[in-house]
Amino acid sequence: MPVLSNSQKYNLVKIMNDHIPHAALLGIQVERIDGEELTLKLPYQTVLVGDSDAGTLHGGVLSVLLDQTLGMATVCCDTTEPSVTPTLDLRVDHLCVAPPGMDVFASARVYKATRKILFVEGIAYCESKEKPIARATGSWVRVADVDLSWLVASDNDAV
Amino acid sequence: MPLADNVRSASNIETLTLWLQKVPYAVFLGISAKLYDTDILFTLPANNKFIGNPSLPALHGGVVAAFMEQAAALHLLANMDNPALPKIINFSVDYLRPARLRDTYAKCVLSRQGRFISNITITAWQEHFDQPNAIARAHFLTPEFN
Repeated sequence: MPVLSNSQKYNLVKIMNDHIPHAALLGIQVERIDGEELTLKLPYQTVLVGDSDAGTLHGGVLSVLLDQTLGMATVCCDTTEPSVTPTLDLRVDHLCVAPPGMDVFASARVYKATRKILFVEGIAYCESKEKPIARATGSWVRVADVDLSWLVASDNDAV
Repeated sequence: MPLADNVRSASNIETLTLWLQKVPYAVFLGISAKLYDTDILFTLPANNKFIGNPSLPALHGGVVAAFMEQAAALHLLANMDNPALPKIINFSVDYLRPARLRDTYAKCVLSRQGRFISNITITAWQEHFDQPNAIARAHFLTPEFN
């Protein structure tokens, strides 16, 4: 199986991300792809605040961003074909509150892929990856009969 | 006195609704609380803006998780002597069935209410309670003892 280049993965993830209405509504964007690691960005918005006195984001918003990032990281995995992957389960540890007013990034990668299940881990952070605000692990199911390879542009088409 | 001691009173549900209105993200999701039998029933109204999979269509799993987390926080608040929004420690959700574009309900069980830490399990369903779309559990820090 040919390993996709970063730009092929970027285009594939961008198509999938933009196709998800709730991700588009929140303005979730593809920040970067580095090998098997995907990073998405969620811009800070006051409607997403959980504690209005402190201006900090709601914990559930991090679940949305991490579900989205870990789920889409499955197509960046080099040992399995890109596929449709519904979430089986997700666990989020809230390490500290998100600093008010700051955009949030989430990075994730598949750490084990089996024929049917993809095991994924990731973090959410604001200032730097060294200061994570949340950590997530979860499993995603490979729906093998859905082939996404037609969405992968050849590197010549990639921007 | 915990709100839950007399949760069947309409005025306590009004108090809970006021708490919900203090959380901008809960307002954004349109979450409401009402009495159902002896339980507090939380509702996430169907809305196109929550769609994660447009082909089915199905709600975004993260939105269902966020709804369940908020329901758990409010359920815990209703059981506090001095109600205050609790802090989430961690949250774990199992997705059992895709949530379709319709109203989603959640009911919570306070499995343990400790001095500092509480454990809550949450069930979310659409058509039948015994066919849940997702089950979850959450740990919260109780702020009144901070």
